[in-house]
This record gives sequence, structure tokens and C-alpha cells, in this order.
Amino acid sequence: MARSNEVNLNECKMVVPLNTWVLISNFKLAYNLLRRPDGTFNRHLAEFLDRKVPANANPVDGVFSFDVLIDRGTSLLTRIYRPATAEEPLPDVAELEKPVTAEVVPVIIFFHGGSFAHSSANSAIYDTLCRRLVGLCKAVVVSVNYRRAPENRYPCAYDDGWTALKWVNSRPWLQSRKDSKVHIYLAGDSSGGNIVHHVALRAIESGINVLGNILLNPMFGGEERTESEHHLDGKYFVTLRDRDWYWRAYLPEGEDRDHHACNPFGPNGRSVKGIKFPKSLVVVAGLDLIQDWQLAYVKGLKKAGQEVKLLYMEQATIGFYLLPNNNHFHAVMDEISRFVGSDC
Amino acid sequence: MPLYDSASSSAGSCSGSSSSSSSSKPPPPPPLQQDIDGLLAVAGYKIRSSELRQVAQRLERLETAMGNSPADFSQLASDAILYNPSDLAAWVDSLLSEFAQPPTCSSEFIPGPVNNGSTTAESHTPPVQQNITYEQRTLDNQLTVVTATEEDSGIRLVHMLMTCAECVQRGDFSLASSLINDMQGLLARVNTVCGIGKVAGHFIDALSRRIFRGIGGGSVGGGGYAFESEILYHHFYEACPYLKFAHFTANQAILEAFDGHDCVHVVDFNLMHGLQWPALIQALALRPGGPPLLRLTGIGPPSPDGRDSLREIGLRLAELARSVNVRFAFRGVAASRLEDVKPWMLQVNPKEAVAVNSIMQLHRLLGPDPIRNSPIETVLNWIKDLNPKILTVVEQEANHNQPSFLDRFTEALYYYSTMFDSLEACRVQPEKALAEIYIQKEIGNVVSCEGSARVERHEPLAKWRRRLSGAGFRPLALGSNAFKQASMLLTLFSAEGYSVEETEGCLTLGWHSRPLIAASAWQAVAEAGSSAACVG
Repeated sequence: MARSNEVNLNECKMVVPLNTWVLISNFKLAYNLLRRPDGTFNRHLAEFLDRKVPANANPVDGVFSFDVLIDRGTSLLTRIYRPATAEEPLPDVAELEKPVTAEVVPVIIFFHGGSFAHSSANSAIYDTLCRRLVGLCKAVVVSVNYRRAPENRYPCAYDDGWTALKWVNSRPWLQSRKDSKVHIYLAGDSSGGNIVHHVALRAIESGINVLGNILLNPMFGGEERTESEHHLDGKYFVTLRDRDWYWRAYLPEGEDRDHHACNPFGPNGRSVKGIKFPKSLVVVAGLDLIQDWQLAYVKGLKKAGQEVKLLYMEQATIGFYLLPNNNHFHAVMDEISRFVGSDC
Repeated sequence: MPLYDSASSSAGSCSGSSSSSSSSKPPPPPPLQQDIDGLLAVAGYKIRSSELRQVAQRLERLETAMGNSPADFSQLASDAILYNPSDLAAWVDSLLSEFAQPPTCSSEFIPGPVNNGSTTAESHTPPVQQNITYEQRTLDNQLTVVTATEEDSGIRLVHMLMTCAECVQRGDFSLASSLINDMQGLLARVNTVCGIGKVAGHFIDALSRRIFRGIGGGSVGGGGYAFESEILYHHFYEACPYLKFAHFTANQAILEAFDGHDCVHVVDFNLMHGLQWPALIQALALRPGGPPLLRLTGIGPPSPDGRDSLREIGLRLAELARSVNVRFAFRGVAASRLEDVKPWMLQVNPKEAVAVNSIMQLHRLLGPDPIRNSPIETVLNWIKDLNPKILTVVEQEANHNQPSFLDRFTEALYYYSTMFDSLEACRVQPEKALAEIYIQKEIGNVVSCEGSARVERHEPLAKWRRRLSGAGFRPLALGSNAFKQASMLLTLFSAEGYSVEETEGCLTLGWHSRPLIAASAWQAVAEAGSSAACVG
């Protein structure tokens, strides 16, 4: 693992393509505008700035999408992405929920990132990513528009994830022909990765079978300051200060970062030893300042006897998977495809 | 079985779920000749590849400026009005001029335009938008960066409209009228052919009328010229799908309610040109087992010039019915106001199956004061007494009947902006122009009238549900057939952005997921012997 003691802005620009640098720096800038020192969040400006795209029932590059409100009480929207089939290149707009026809169709429930506060299922960057996953995994992707902090703290995001999981699991039209069951994977980046872990825990308690967890740069933390946090603070788009802000915004008031939501295998954590936890694919970016927590998570899974594959991308920064212009991107996409494909 | 029931409750119930379908075309590919970065375009940002380096440099400068006082940064962000984040270069520049020193001339930069008129060394490529000028004003502690593209003046207009409405509510008419002047000035600099400028123009007019002519309303009152209204209505029908949606959905529900009945009677609360009925007549003609005897009673305002326009429409519909072998009888009931209609005028036969059809009429019965036996109660009571198989109700999905003028104004501004926005998709003239006048009249009524002159008292679906349930009606769910009809209508119409949603048995049609019109169906409760058939 490469550690550099002297990383500056110029070096940061050297490890990512220029357009990626502009994209992520712009996010960083915008996000700085939104977080207020008193812990409140400028939601209106956030929604104004977020680049969104509508669902599109006409296939684009073989994928079409539509929005479904799955819980009116919490206004829980999901965006569903499906592959357009060869026989029906133009789906009948009244039959978007036609049963899937293949023997095995993976259904990936996706939780977008944004540190629990930013982005939506219809954010352009996540719409793009979900569409990619459809083609890559020959899957149906259900992107969950979970409630965000600070307006909705723990456990709202997990509750919404759980609602989505139950909903997906109970859709007859998502059942694979082979066994009339829904083949479910959970996937997410940043806060979405964190949600994956916690929703998987709930799934086990209730007997819903999740076939696999995919965590892309998952958001974990703890009270302790780790080496990577010291070394990489402020070097690659992310500061410890903003990480702390987001945890304060998400965790219940008065709780610290050793709360089990933030630190699942920490002092207040829950062991997953002896339970039927899904196999996990965890992707860690080598230039992400919270990598020590992510690696601790992987270690925690291994210690509990759970199946986990770690993909450590040495020169990758946060957000490397947003634009398909680097090797880390393609390597990770291949792994995801294999991870999901292995059950077919 | 309803297709779109996404609730976790048992199938067959139509509660707690909604799904939407919209037909939109794939986004056009970015213009290659302008060298736009394709990957960032997909992420929602327009920036030329050749500009990436300068924008990166400016982002760095912003970061430095920010590092010094991050708290101020977010505070200023709360106060500032920011525009067009998709245009990354302009966006970063506007933030720079807001938060940091303006860039000095240097060969590394494309300098931002300077506000004192002096130009710097040659700019490399012309900006994507035309006529970008920067104007920076400091008002007390508030920094406002205004980029005077047409769109941005439009947003400023909106802010001024709100302020003006607030003055009107407070009774500060002198400030309000000076704001009207300012706005009319600003309007001259804005594109009023489309977009927010057009809507703003109508609202300025309506406010102006309210301030200067008082709230009697003049020609936007309840009556108006019947003939003119019908023409405008017809063009509104043609220009956008809202009325077509209303008719299709109501007809579908009526058709299902009439299933198995040989004598059926439709009471139409507002006949207009009878646009809704040819489709029903044809559907009944094709009914398996043969068509019923169809009676249609059309209510409408009396014609001013002695013509019996109701009868003329009736004759044309009779002609159509004859051509498809449907036994048909028509009766016109002329009444200036719906509350003037007495049930005996409808001559309903106890043996026939009755459908009462109200397309955007019930809200006109919501009188200015909540008094006993207000028109709405009276009418709903006699509808109930008719024991109809179905009552179809279509209403504007808006809250334009709130007690506070400012609340109504705000709601109307957003509602009609959305509606005008949707009208942009229409290319046919004069349908579009006349449809706009139709909508304009509605705006005028909502904003500049009060008391009995204000008839456009739209209330949202939730309120209508309560009202109708309270009056002794129970909802009949509009099922997947109706949804399918409506969705197919959209596909035919093929304008992107419209969406149909099913919500607790009702259907709404909206623009970009803002519902604008809601259709529901009802049946009177607890009549001896009536079957509890669930439609759909």
C-alpha cells in the first residue's frame, strides 16, 4: 500500500484524468456550499445543483428505466432499470412490470452514495452507473431513493433500504424462472455501501436470502483517528472535517462515531459470526482517507468466517467508478460482473 | 387485477401505491463540433474539452479562497442566487466573482467579462450562450450575482412577483404598483415568447388588474362569452393532452359502469362542443352484446344570440350515433351556473343506469364562504339522489382555493408555469396560442378575482376525496385499463415529459412528475340494492 507523506494538489491532479478531477472537484466545491457549520444543510440549493435525469421508458443503449413509488408514507421512490429484450426492443409503456423471462435474472438493489446527505436515485452520475450495471450483469437494477441526512437521520436510510428489499423480494415479475425466487444482490457506493451492510443484516434476521453484497468505497468510520486518515486528510478531495460533518448529520444526536452504524465491527458492533451473511465484494480505493476503516471491515468479515473478496485499487481516488476513463474502473466492473455472474 | 399495485397489501386493493410511465426520447448527442466533453455531458455538465484546464485552475483558486473562511462560504451560498450549474465554466466563474478576487489578465486564463466595460485580451472562443454579461450588486449583506441571460431575468421576475403578491396581501398597493412597473421593465428585456417570461407576463397582468381595477374581475368573471369560451376550450383540448386524458379516463370508467345495462343515461355538467362523447358512442357501439339505448343530457350556458348551441351539438352527436347504430337521445339543459340546475330538469328515469360526468366543474361550486347548503353540497346531494352508477370527476390538481392570497398566488405561479412549460411541446397554431389564452383566463380569475367572481377555486385531489366521502360517496378505483388507456394516449401524443400516475385508485396526468390534472370515479354509498361493483 503506497503512502506518501508529501502529496499536494498537483499530485492529486496527476492521479486522475482531467475531466474526473474537474468533476470531483466541482462536487467538492458544491458540497462545501451546502454544509453549514451549525450542522444544517442547504437542501434547496443541493437539489438545484444536483444534475438529474428523468426515467426513460424508451431504451437507450439497450436499457430502459421507470420510477416506482414503493412506499407512499415515506415517498420512497425507486428507479428500475431493465434490459430491453431482442424480441421487444420497444417496451409497451403499460407493461413495464412484465415478468423477467430468463432462467436466472440477478436483481441488484442499488444504494447511491453521497455520504447520506447528497444525491438521489435520479442523479445523472448514478443513473449512468446503474445503466452500466444492467448491461454488465444482465441484471435488473433497482435504485433506491432513500431518505437523506440531516433531515432524516439513522435509521431512516436503513429502513428505506429494508422496505426496498422486501418490495423487491415480493415482486412476482422479478422472480427468476429457474426457481421462482428473486435473486437479490445489494450494491452501493460510499454511504450506499454502508447501507448494504446494514440491510443485509436485517435480511438475515427476516430470512430473506441475499446472494451477495457489493460495497464500493463504503462509508465507515470510528472515533479513533487512523493512519490513513492522518496521511490522506485533504489530499485527494476529501477531508476528515467533512467526514465528521456527515457522521454528525446521520448518526443520532449525541452519538459518536463508534455507533454501530458507522463502525459495524467496533466496540458497539454486531458480530456476523455464525450467521448466513451474504458473500461480499469490497472495493477500496488506495487514495481514500477512510481506507483503514474499510479494510477493518473486510478483516471483521473474515474473522467472522464470512466470504469476502477485497479489491484494493492502489492509485484510485474516491469516485473513480463514476467515469469510465481509467483502468480501475474497468477492473472493478469486470469483478462485479463475475461476482454476480457466478450464480447463473 | 390492477397492474400497478405496488403496496405490500393484498392484491386487489388499490391503496398506497403509484407508478408512473412517461414517454421521453433519448437525449440528443452532444454537438461534436463544439468539442464538449462527452463523459461530463452524461454526468450533466456542459464543458468543452479545451476549457477543462482553465476551469480546473479556477476551481483551485476557489478552493484557496474557500480555505480561508469556509463558514462564510456556506453563509454566502445561502444568500446568493446561483444559476445554471450545468454550464460548468460559467458557474465556476460566477462563484469566483462572488467569492474571490476577479481574475487578472493573464495568458493562462480566459478572463471573465469585467463589469466596467473594459475588455481584456482576446477571448478564445465565444461563450456558449449569447449576450452573457455580468452584473454584481451588493445589497446590504446580500451578494447577488445575476447573470442576465433570459432565463435568469425570468428567475428575477419570479422573485419580484412573489414580493409584489406579498405587498398586495399586506395592502401595500403603492409598493406593489411600483413593483409592477419594475417588472414590466424587466419583462421588456426578457423573452416573452416562451419559458418563464411568458408566464410571468400573465401573472403581472393579473396582479396589475387586481391592484388597479379592484377585485370585481371584469371580463374574467364567471360568465364571459360562452361562444368564445368554447373556442378556447376546444383549442386547449387540441393543444395538450389534459382534456383528452380527462375524457378518455372518464369514458373508460363510464363504459365499465354501464356494463350489462340496456338503458344508460349520461349527464354531462359542461357539454362544450361535446368533444368527450363521440368516443363513448363508438365504444358503446362496439360493446359485445350490442349497444344500449344511450341518453345524453348536456348542461351548458345559454347562447347569447338566440342560437340553441346545445341542440346543435346534440344533433351532431345524434348523427354520429345513427351512423354506428346506437339508439340515442339528447337533451340540452341551459343554465348559466351549475347550481341553477334542478334534478327534475334532467328527467332521469329510475330504470336507467346513470353516469354523472363533471370535467372541471365542481370547483366552481365552492362558494366564497363556507355556508350551510353551499352550492357544492346542494349539487352533491341531488347527484346522490339520482343514484348514479358512477360519478366521474376530473379536476385541476392544484390548491388555488386557500384563504391566503399569497399562498394561492404562489401555488398558481408554480402550477401554471408547469402547464405553460408543457405547452412548449405543442407546435401547432393557432391551437397553441388559443390554448394559452384559455389558460391565461384561468390565471386571471385565480389571481385578480374574489368573492363570487372567483370561480376557479381548484382544490387538490386529497381535498376532493374528503369532500366526496363526507358527502356520501365512495371511491371507485380506476384500474389498469384506464391507466393503460391514459399511457397509450401519451405515447400517441409523443411529447416528452408527460407522466400518468395512479394514486389510490385515481389517475393524474402531470408534466415531469408534477401532477396537473386528476381524474377519479365515485359511487353513492348505501343505496338499497346497489351492487358494490369495483370498476377495474
